[in-house]
Amino acid sequence: MLEINDISKSFNRKLALDSLSMQVKSGEIFGLLGPNGAGKTTLIRIINRILEQDRGSIRFQGKLLTEDHLKVIGYLPEERGLYKEMKVLEQLVFLGRLRGMTKNDATKNARFWMEKFAIENWSKKKVEELSKGMAQKVQFIAALVHEPEYLILDEPLSGFDPVNVELILTELKELKKQGKTVILSTHNMKSVEEICDRAALIHQSVKLAEDTVWNLREQQKKGEFIIRFKGNMIGFANALWTGFELIDREEIGENRFVAKVRMRGENKMDDLLKTLMGHIEIEAVEERFPSMQEVFIELIQGKEESHA
Amino acid sequence: MRNSGLIAMREFKERVYSRTFLWMLIVGPAVVLFLLFLLFKAGDQGKNSIKVLIADPAGLLENKIVAQEGKAVQYYFISDYLEIEEFRDGKEYQQFDVLMEVNEKALMNKKVFAFYREQPSGDVKMQLKFQLERRIEEVMIESFTQLSVDAFRQIKQPLNVDYRNVFDPKNQASNTAGWVGFVFGLLIVSFVLLFGMTILRSTAKEKSNRIVEVILASVKPSELMFGKILGIGMAALVQLFAWGFFIAVGLWFFRSFVFPDLFSPANWEGVQMSAEVKQQIIEESISGRYNEFVELIYERIQFGWMLAHFMIFFLTAYLFYGAFFSTIGAMSGTESDGQQFVIPVLVLLGFALYSGYLAIYVPDSPFIAWSQFVPFCSPVVGMVKLAQGYTPGTYYYLPLSWLVLVISTYLLLLLSGRIYKNGILQFGHRARWIFFLRWIKKS
Repeated sequence: MLEINDISKSFNRKLALDSLSMQVKSGEIFGLLGPNGAGKTTLIRIINRILEQDRGSIRFQGKLLTEDHLKVIGYLPEERGLYKEMKVLEQLVFLGRLRGMTKNDATKNARFWMEKFAIENWSKKKVEELSKGMAQKVQFIAALVHEPEYLILDEPLSGFDPVNVELILTELKELKKQGKTVILSTHNMKSVEEICDRAALIHQSVKLAEDTVWNLREQQKKGEFIIRFKGNMIGFANALWTGFELIDREEIGENRFVAKVRMRGENKMDDLLKTLMGHIEIEAVEERFPSMQEVFIELIQGKEESHA
Repeated sequence: MRNSGLIAMREFKERVYSRTFLWMLIVGPAVVLFLLFLLFKAGDQGKNSIKVLIADPAGLLENKIVAQEGKAVQYYFISDYLEIEEFRDGKEYQQFDVLMEVNEKALMNKKVFAFYREQPSGDVKMQLKFQLERRIEEVMIESFTQLSVDAFRQIKQPLNVDYRNVFDPKNQASNTAGWVGFVFGLLIVSFVLLFGMTILRSTAKEKSNRIVEVILASVKPSELMFGKILGIGMAALVQLFAWGFFIAVGLWFFRSFVFPDLFSPANWEGVQMSAEVKQQIIEESISGRYNEFVELIYERIQFGWMLAHFMIFFLTAYLFYGAFFSTIGAMSGTESDGQQFVIPVLVLLGFALYSGYLAIYVPDSPFIAWSQFVPFCSPVVGMVKLAQGYTPGTYYYLPLSWLVLVISTYLLLLLSGRIYKNGILQFGHRARWIFFLRWIKKS
């Protein structure tokens, strides 16, 4: 487990992190979310000991984080950087060795990952000869080459096409299965919904929320249901009456509709079903949870409104 | 330390495996050897053998000059005046390279004109003058004195006053020796500048392409800085050794095959003179000064001793100035941003060279006595003083000078490590002097 306790950091009197605490459990994929300038990268740099916090502590597997722990952490920074004149394999081996590997092990691992990402034919090419996507793959492999237990990825999906985004997400799920822990800082909320177990939202240097992705979405739900039915739309609207609010509808066929309904008062799904039965033929009903995108915006706006 | 080693090796390979580096391994020594060749050749230029026609209307020389059987200068005589135009254009005179007119006035005013088609080399001019002068002397001795030629020459010997330092009776510490020390110092400054700029560019480049963040997630900033300085320094050493080797081989080749007669006057073909006379010629002539340089290069400079100290000064000076350059690189926002901060370092290097220059001409001045303990001057001044030789009672100056440089380098590395650590992750800014102070204060 990675415990971040009461971390504060400022740059020239500008507060970047304010008493921030959170926990990343072993074996989970943890989403680190927040708008630009929230302090995510600063936190990631502190975890990687690139920056030093002004206050607070980080505990890794119960012990204070030290330089030795960096050998089991893999890091993909947001601002990608590789030695452009260096050959791909040579570069991966060099970075692996910096993290404590032997030359043989680093070479073996680098070859394994290059094969997995289908870039083994580029091993003797210089990085400057690679396409951007290709270089992104190399950068991703560089974070994995030393078989880290913890992986910290800052915007790992940016710059990838949809096919490669899928490739990376699949790989992250695979790493989770192997018991690795992943901290994922991203603006791609769909991927957070898809692969993250838990997430924390940072805004203006403070943490706004931290929970499982499911709980975060649930906490922001607004009692909305999606109903697919066969029947008359006017009859459907009349049946809702005052206990429910029709907020959206769409005709999907002859006398077939999908409608979005919000509960009023203490009404529950059972009440809705009782009200509608006999008026329409219900094909499907499901409660609508907000997307992580909506959760994100909701929490940020809520915070800003409370400040205003 | 392991990581510094890995970084150093990467830097080393990046430089050594580049085409530019490999080219410079060949081109650099070739340029130096070419310049030396020109320098050696300067005293050996022109035709090896010339024909001199002596117009001797008064028959003073009696068709006789000591070396007339020699190959280098062959003398021919006519017993009449010869107009320059006739000598220049006449078919029968085209075989002659020089026309010299020796008339009665030559005995009194000691002046002879020599008209040439192509200017003779310094050596040939000197031989001509010497041989003709001696022949005229013989004529004068016979005409105006009762002395034998040998007796006259004993009397004629000039008095030489040779000033020598009591601590340096063999005159090892001549200006020329000082200049050799200065050249060593110049090499240090050149390499420091060349590879210091490489450190600066490499640091700034790592910042601008952001690889530095990946590296710093694995190593400490001080390890990165030290590894970089070390790796680039190793490349500098390889270049230095390669240059030294090629230049040494080149000098040996010059001595053995190209200029085999650089030292020995006995090797002068066609000039039949006693060894004593030849030595006198060397000492008296311009060529003598030139040969002093050659002798200095091949005989007098103790290259083993000099090179050992050169390495010590080179390594410490490189680390000393390397710390400056890496700090500037870490402070810079972009690769070009740091250029403005190089100027003060250049001024320091220029000052070091000027101090070395002064050390040649005023080696005992208080300024030089102090400047050999000033870290940014000592590598140059130290090499000059070393070449000149230390006087008794001042031998400890050398280790002391080096000790001060080592301590200063250590302190500077600590200080610049601090600035480096704080500056290396600052992006999107322009380097400013205020950052120096801010980042030094910051832990």
